[in-house]
Amino acid sequence: MKVSRVAGVGKWAASVYALLYVLAVAPAAAQVRDWPTEAPPRPLPAREAQFPPYEIRTLPNGMQVVAVLHHEQPAVSIRLLVRAGSAQDSKGKGGVANLTAALLDQGTTTRSAQEIADQIDFIGGDLGTGAGTDLSFANAVVMKDSFDLGMSLVADVVRNPAFTQEEIERQKDQVLSSLRVSVDDPSYIADVVFDRLIYGFHPYGLPGSGTEESLAALTRADLQEFHRQYYVPNNMLLAIVGDVTSDEAFAAAERVFGAWPRVALPPSSSTEPPPSARRIVVVNKPDAVQTSIRVGQLAIPRKHDDYMAWDLAVKILGGEGANRLHQVLRSQYGLTYGAEADTEARKDAGDFVAKTDTRTDTTGQALRLTIDEFAHLARERVGERELADAQAYLAGSFPLTIETPDQIATQVLNVLFFELPVSEIGTFRERVSAVTPDDVQRVARRYIRPDRLSIVLVGNARAFASQLIELGLGGYEVISLDELDLMSPTLKKERRRP
Amino acid sequence: MLRPAHFLLLLAAAAAIVVPLQAAVHPPKLEYQITTLPNGLRVILSEDHSTPIVHLAVWYHVGSRNERSGRTGFAHLFEHMMFKGSKNVQPESHTSIIASIGGRSNAYTQEDATVFWETLPAQYLPLALWLEADRMATLRVDRDALEKEVEVVKEERRLRVDNQPYGRLNEILFDKAFTTHPYKHPTIGSMKDLEAASIDDVRDFHNTFYVPENAVVTVVGDFDSAQAMQLVTQYFGRVPKAARPVPRDIPREPEQTQERRAVVQEEWPLPAVVVAYHIVYDGHPDSYPLHLVSKILFDGESSRMTRELVYDKRIAVAAFGSANLIEDPNLFYAVAIIPAGQSAQDVERALIAEFDRLKTAPVDGREVERAKNQFMRDYIIGRESNEQKALHLAHAAVIHNDVTRADAEIDIFDNLTPADIQRVARSYFTPNNRTVIYIQPMGRAGAR
Repeated sequence: MKVSRVAGVGKWAASVYALLYVLAVAPAAAQVRDWPTEAPPRPLPAREAQFPPYEIRTLPNGMQVVAVLHHEQPAVSIRLLVRAGSAQDSKGKGGVANLTAALLDQGTTTRSAQEIADQIDFIGGDLGTGAGTDLSFANAVVMKDSFDLGMSLVADVVRNPAFTQEEIERQKDQVLSSLRVSVDDPSYIADVVFDRLIYGFHPYGLPGSGTEESLAALTRADLQEFHRQYYVPNNMLLAIVGDVTSDEAFAAAERVFGAWPRVALPPSSSTEPPPSARRIVVVNKPDAVQTSIRVGQLAIPRKHDDYMAWDLAVKILGGEGANRLHQVLRSQYGLTYGAEADTEARKDAGDFVAKTDTRTDTTGQALRLTIDEFAHLARERVGERELADAQAYLAGSFPLTIETPDQIATQVLNVLFFELPVSEIGTFRERVSAVTPDDVQRVARRYIRPDRLSIVLVGNARAFASQLIELGLGGYEVISLDELDLMSPTLKKERRRP
Repeated sequence: MLRPAHFLLLLAAAAAIVVPLQAAVHPPKLEYQITTLPNGLRVILSEDHSTPIVHLAVWYHVGSRNERSGRTGFAHLFEHMMFKGSKNVQPESHTSIIASIGGRSNAYTQEDATVFWETLPAQYLPLALWLEADRMATLRVDRDALEKEVEVVKEERRLRVDNQPYGRLNEILFDKAFTTHPYKHPTIGSMKDLEAASIDDVRDFHNTFYVPENAVVTVVGDFDSAQAMQLVTQYFGRVPKAARPVPRDIPREPEQTQERRAVVQEEWPLPAVVVAYHIVYDGHPDSYPLHLVSKILFDGESSRMTRELVYDKRIAVAAFGSANLIEDPNLFYAVAIIPAGQSAQDVERALIAEFDRLKTAPVDGREVERAKNQFMRDYIIGRESNEQKALHLAHAAVIHNDVTRADAEIDIFDNLTPADIQRVARSYFTPNNRTVIYIQPMGRAGAR
């Protein structure tokens, strides 16, 4: 796709000069006395940034294969995605996608866990497997002379995992230990409780690693069943990225995956997340010196016509290149090290969330300022300049997003994974620049409902309770860390009376 | 390069499982030029025309290693103050100016150096150089700004250290293992010292350390070297030479003569044991075998510590560590996180047994090859982006005072033998040189 000019260049002069003092007016400790007073230099002539070449083919069994060729360093990265994650955990089997993925490289029908580790480590490679909400993955990085072995290992672990009882127990212990550590991590707790408020008992609302109870109940048969249903070639994407030729890449994919037959997928059964409603949950952690704050709402999935305008609106609230929250909470008031807002646009649904951490005694103030920024964005039309700056950043940074082979592959995989039009690859700048202030206002009004925000605070509840009441946020629930139960409608463990 | 004798050994060891039999792939060497301006500033330029972007890194050879007691955390606080504006740049606008043209920028502070960087579309290289030169020459110093920034850094400390499980691990380790050298204290500093920072401190620090002869400017990306050199000279060449030499009087750590032991209580979910030994500085001949030792012990699931403690004995949920090779002699440390029901004493014994095994028996050739291949992987995948290349070049110039070290280490690693590993293990992994720390959860053993 040809692009006539880099978006943002025309706006350059206005945006940069407006940020400068023409004269030094503030008290300055100018160590260099005769340092000139001057405007910033003009840019050099720009060189066109083009999306680098890539190739997509589909194997006869339905597996989609992407090759991105890049010959600067003698390495190849192999990334295999399965279109199933914790969102596919069936009822009562919380954590099955996660545990299945964790077991992939812990032994296959022909290689023990130790043999897999020996082989990948010996060649100076890396192999990792895991699961998210909508996908599972097996990724490897190998040097170019080990490409065939890398492909064979990735294929073996996704096709033939052994799921031995011994390794299942080992991995369950690992997951349980990391759950115990996570419970003490305020940002982990804030995130899982927030997801639970937004999505209720929709799979996106439940912890991907499962709970102690659901993990204990998982059996070898559960893992085998999950693997049989979802780990099939027509449910997978493979990217081969780096120092190979396109013939080598597709021949290798054909060699290790070509003979794997297509299997019909189970019908997807998705439930709707609940409508947005105001709910404030305080998770009490008396030893906390800081409060983790999450504020947000249900919004839109990734594949949605409003996505680009909405993403820009949220970037203005708290993203790179703009970020009102950072401006207010950090620069203006010094309340936090960082504040941000993100669109969490997933496959079936999405939300947006503002995140910050502040010391206990400024919890109420930081929360108030955050909520005010939500209301401000929903109420007032965003200025031309502010939107232009956010667009200039996003569009202008496009060449920064195509530097390394893995960055390039990620963009192609994203489009394929979310089933977006392939024409979106490489046309990012044009789509960013097309958004108007009216678009931003329309989506901000539509998706931000300040009276229905979900709010989570993890911290020393007693120390900031009075601040919440002063803010008129008295209707909050306090849950101690010990009684927190994500599987309960009240979020509290049921108390059984004797 | 692999020598034939090694190669046969490798073949024999590898017969049972399929592995590639070529020597490790080697990456291309970095191409660059280095120049010193009359004011003492060193400039490294490395062209890479694959993408129309450029990365600029300005390294100042100052970090928490240069701090005195009572002012811990100051180097990092000062790094924040560099965003408070300069003669031609409004306070807090550096980041937004760079963002408004599609660039990214940030800074970080380490023990030995402080780094400011920008990655941006290539045509804006003059803007980035101009911004960096402006704040090197003419920082604005403002009391209100300092007070506000102290609060921000205190929030950063709470976020990263005080409110995180295991957030204080490093702080505890270095405090117990060091007596004198500033590596004893963490880069983030203490709350009390942060509050003590004054405007005069800020001014002095800038005058003392933020001078051309204490800085290295590295540019990697899509530019023409002659033009870039002209721009660097135009903007940085007018920064005057420092009035006095940069102080380099860092207190030395006396040799440790007997084992140090400590038991600490923290609000952590699971207990931990740390075993650490004093080692050499980065670039010392022994540092290379020590780096391979860290691969042998910790890198990958087949590494010795992971296999022994986590996989086979299952007495740790995680075992990690590293040879912390930095400018002055630092530590080789191992950490194990202990699951409920396991004894810290057993874990300590198992950790020390792995260090001792390196002394008593030579590591087999195949294991050394594995470690070298892992080193090569880190080397290759660590040089994909302009930012990564700049990091290696600037690190070599600042920490080793020799930019050629950015590439020279490959040959050193190629030539290391099992005997080198055994020798360094015997030199450093001795009881008198050891620190052992038990970290126990505070008053709630078995509560959850």
